Amino acid sequence: MTDLLEHPIALDGVGRRFGDVVAVDDVSFAVAEGTIVGLIGPSGSGKTTIIRMLTGALGPTAGLARVLGEDPAHFRAKTRERIGYVPQSFVLYPELTASENVSFVAALFGMGWLARRRRVRETLERLELYDVRGRRASQLSGGMLRRVALATALVHDPDVLFIDEPTAGIDPLLRAKIWDSLRELRDAGRTMLVTTQYVGEAENCDAVALLAHGHLLALDRPEGLRRSVYGGDLVEVRTARSADENVFQGISGVKSVRRRDPRTVHLVVDDAGAATPRIAEALSNDGTSAVSIEPYVPSFDEVFEVLVARDEEQVRAA
Amino acid sequence: MKPLIRIGAVIRKELREIVRRPGALLSLTLGPLAVMALFGLGFTGARQPVDIVIVIPPGIEISKDPAVYQKVAGGTTHIVGVTEDVSAARAQLQRGDVDMVVIAPSDYRQRLERGEQAVVVAETNELDPVQQGINAAVADIMTRELNSEIIRVAAEQGQAQILASGQAKATIKPEVVARPFRVDVKDQAGIDPTLLIFYTPAVLALVLQHLGVTLTALSMVRERLSGAVDIFRVAPISAVELLVGKYVAYAILGLAVALLVVLGTTNGLHLPFAGSVASFGLAVVLLTFASLGLGLLISLVADSERQAVQLSMLVLLASMFFSGFVLPVHEFREPVKSLAYILPVTYGIEIFQQEMLRGSLREQWMQAALLAIGTVLFMLSAARMRRVLRGVH
Repeated sequence: MTDLLEHPIALDGVGRRFGDVVAVDDVSFAVAEGTIVGLIGPSGSGKTTIIRMLTGALGPTAGLARVLGEDPAHFRAKTRERIGYVPQSFVLYPELTASENVSFVAALFGMGWLARRRRVRETLERLELYDVRGRRASQLSGGMLRRVALATALVHDPDVLFIDEPTAGIDPLLRAKIWDSLRELRDAGRTMLVTTQYVGEAENCDAVALLAHGHLLALDRPEGLRRSVYGGDLVEVRTARSADENVFQGISGVKSVRRRDPRTVHLVVDDAGAATPRIAEALSNDGTSAVSIEPYVPSFDEVFEVLVARDEEQVRAA
Repeated sequence: MKPLIRIGAVIRKELREIVRRPGALLSLTLGPLAVMALFGLGFTGARQPVDIVIVIPPGIEISKDPAVYQKVAGGTTHIVGVTEDVSAARAQLQRGDVDMVVIAPSDYRQRLERGEQAVVVAETNELDPVQQGINAAVADIMTRELNSEIIRVAAEQGQAQILASGQAKATIKPEVVARPFRVDVKDQAGIDPTLLIFYTPAVLALVLQHLGVTLTALSMVRERLSGAVDIFRVAPISAVELLVGKYVAYAILGLAVALLVVLGTTNGLHLPFAGSVASFGLAVVLLTFASLGLGLLISLVADSERQAVQLSMLVLLASMFFSGFVLPVHEFREPVKSLAYILPVTYGIEIFQQEMLRGSLREQWMQAALLAIGTVLFMLSAARMRRVLRGVH
């Protein structure tokens, strides 16, 4: 437990109830320094509640939350200056320009005029917003607004960032740009907890915490998560005609067989590289010609579906 | 230094938001002022004379000439006619053709001979309580004038008889015998209080309170709904810094509005400004200070901008009725009278009228009362703001 709480962001057995409703249940994870952890799950899964507990807006009803070693309910002013936060609902001040919005938040964090002027410019340039700095927030597009909101969290150069749904409701191109910016920040040593409802965005994170119904379904690196969900590598086998599943059952290293369609099966194997020649040989012995035998990388949507189904089974069994 | 940076940021943000929404600012300030200016310029305050029909029952030997009664009744009445038919007169009253039917007593001679007062009956048909009061006063004045006229005529006849008998010389005029005193009203306030002059300071006080209450209530509700409060929670800004920033911004706005209104009314409409600028400025700041607290209280209970506006309008309505703007505060019963003294504008109207028109404030305690109300509301707001920024734990 001590190790966990030494990380810049840490949750240990954290739960939050609203009356009889359990919004977050026994969640434990930590975000290591200089990494991005994606808090991923559908709407209502408890992502924002976790962020609000870590930023001090909500107190946990169970467990411990720590940010930079402090209880979020009692952050010191110095600690607050090291935290950046983009709430899901922050819509900026519509009458203020992009630059004024960013400068306002910078001043809230105590930045003086000269430093503020320099940092506002740097931040807007970094997020490709400098050209629209004089435009009022009410005249900016949805994507620009999200980036200005991100700029307000970055302007005071925080060590730790909480970013709630930075890509919600914006186009894929812009989402990719925002993730590029976040990765740049990570490379510059920032520690980030980012929520998203787009499961596919897990690829952009160093680690992923998958949430559903307030439960932490899984926590791992993106690749590790795939392996842990399926219990090994996946190999996709496409054949010219429908192959008998028994052909694959006896192959050494094959753990399970899932038919996707009459001519396609997914095999869970210990090691995709080692299993591929054995699969080809088994098909040849059976007289079935293989169209392709390739490692298969399941999307995170598929991974998430499996995890949610497994969680629901466990809940039903309990 | 950092607290000053944060307070400065809030002041700039608030002022920019207000200045860049000129429509809202204009409708909140110029709207009430324009209505008041129209009222002041368009309302004469001159009431129509009370239309009266006099009924003199048959058999009574007194004049039936309307001009005689018009002369006695004076300019506040209009004697429409004199008739013997009381039913026809009452029908006119029923239709609204006249405001009053005055019926002379048919037994007046017998009553006077018995040493009793004769009763003149005045009938009205009025819903408006103010007009009803005016009608009663007119009937009373008319009867007094009638009595005085009878005494004057009697004195004149008596003096003529005395002079004719050669017994004595008349030294007192019959007019003086009938009306030995007259009144000469002199106002020491030193101004000619037209409605426009009298109501301008009151409207300014009302506008400043309304501005402070509405803008603050809306501002805080917006901060909450826009998610800005979440930023305030994480940022190292304190509840007091946030409130001071907002208070200073709105005090600047209040002073600017007051300055524009005073300059506009003194130069444009040539209204007097007899007081000192410093003392008046202090009153503006105190009224704004107390009004902002009221707005913050509203923002604490309002869930939406619409509700904030509705509650602000409720405060405005209460202010119109109870602050002395229309009806004098001392005419209310307790505890409503005490309620009036919770409203900052009650003090604001009195202070502004005295400062602007009289040139000095007689009730110095009123400024202290505004300061006390503002301080209590500020402390309540700060405590509440601390809880909001602390979050739910």
